[in-house]
Order: sequence, then C-alpha cells, then structure tokens
Amino acid sequence: MEDPIIDLLACTYRLDVAGVEKNLKILWSEYQKIIHQKSNWKNINRARAILYFIGYIYPEWITVQSLERRIRFIKPPLTLNAFLVTVDRNDQRILKKYKNNEKFKKLSRFYKIVKSVKNKVANGTYLDENTFNEQYEKLKPKDHF
Amino acid sequence: MITGIAAVINSPRDYYKIKKPVIIIAKKTHPDIVISIKNVKAIVTELDNKLCHAAIIAREYGIPLVMGAENATKEFRTGDKITVDIKRKMIWKTQ
Repeated sequence: MEDPIIDLLACTYRLDVAGVEKNLKILWSEYQKIIHQKSNWKNINRARAILYFIGYIYPEWITVQSLERRIRFIKPPLTLNAFLVTVDRNDQRILKKYKNNEKFKKLSRFYKIVKSVKNKVANGTYLDENTFNEQYEKLKPKDHF
Repeated sequence: MITGIAAVINSPRDYYKIKKPVIIIAKKTHPDIVISIKNVKAIVTELDNKLCHAAIIAREYGIPLVMGAENATKEFRTGDKITVDIKRKMIWKTQ
C-alpha cells in the first residue's frame, strides 16, 4: 500500500484537491490511532513524523510553495498575500471577480483544506499534542539520544 | 503604529489569563488564541510563514501582525508597555 505521505505529495503536484483531503484524513486517523491505543517506540515515532509533516512541513512549506507557483496562473493577477487575505476574510468584493475562475476556486479549496489542519484542535490541544507528548514520554527509552 | 500592553505567551494556557486588550508576543500562536481574540490588539511572532497559525488568524480577524521578530519572547515581558510598527516590523518598549 502506498504511503499516504507520498500520495499526498503526488496529489499536491497534480492539485488533486479531493486526494489532498483524503490523504490528510488518512494521516490524521493513523496519528490518532497510534496515540490513543497501546503503542510502541517505533509507532510513536511514526506518529511524530505525521504530526511534524501535517502540522508543519506540509502546510508551511509544501503548500506555500504550491500556492506561490500556481498563483501566477490566476487572471486577473493577484499576489499570494492578496489571495490569502481575500479567502481568509471572505472578501466578496474581490471574490466576485473570480466567481467563474475555476483555477482560483480550486486553489481556494486547496488552501481551505490545508488551513483546516492548522486550526485543528483535539482533546483540548492543537493536533492533540498533549496526548502525543504524554505517550511519547512514556515510550521514550531511557538511553535515547 | 499600535501601542499597548504586552502579553508574552509561553503556553496555550496563557491565553486564558488575558482579560484586557494586549499585544500578543509568542514564538508561534495556537488555536486557543481565539479564547482571547477580542482582547488582541496585535500579534508579534518569532516565526515567519504565510501559512503559520498566526498569519491565518491575523488575516481572518483583521488583526495587525508582525512575524519574524527574533527573540521577542525573551526581550519583552508580560505587562511591558510596547509599540509595534507594523510597516517597519519593529517593536520597542514605550515609557
């Protein structure tokens, strides 16, 4: 079975927004499963990798690069900052200019899906980090360096 | 420019202590910031990224933001009166 991290990247290259959403959900479920059941050192580090990937590397590096590359193809042109402000503030004055622009709408859907990860809270903490930290500390070998 | 009282955030729990308007200073923000969002006059973060949580929240709520303020959480203390120059990305203590 293909690793969802690899498939997520491939979907990002294709801008397959449904695929991005699906793989983020798979990774989130796998992460939740690992941290909420009896785990081991190997698995908790898989969870750590998922947490770092979906919480930081994917949104803050890969997605930003993907948006920067694609925003140049939007007409009428707008900067990435203008795009982000427009979507985040739901600025209808600007959004109506792109009402029939499929590239803009697709990029907007992609951004909103990734943004939902950055706003995700579970069991009271961002990306359930408290549960992860507790499990990690329990499983960490005493001689780990 | 925005002048106000600094609230240095070291833990998500710190957001729950905010009862008056403040300028948040944090390495990065956390979703719990929404608890005190009505009292956030501006946000200063050490990290700088267009898709970091602070950037998203600042855009969504229209809050002034300065990112990339190195060592801001060490240089300022909660309760300091500070001024933030958003355009020049500068922060300093005010008498």
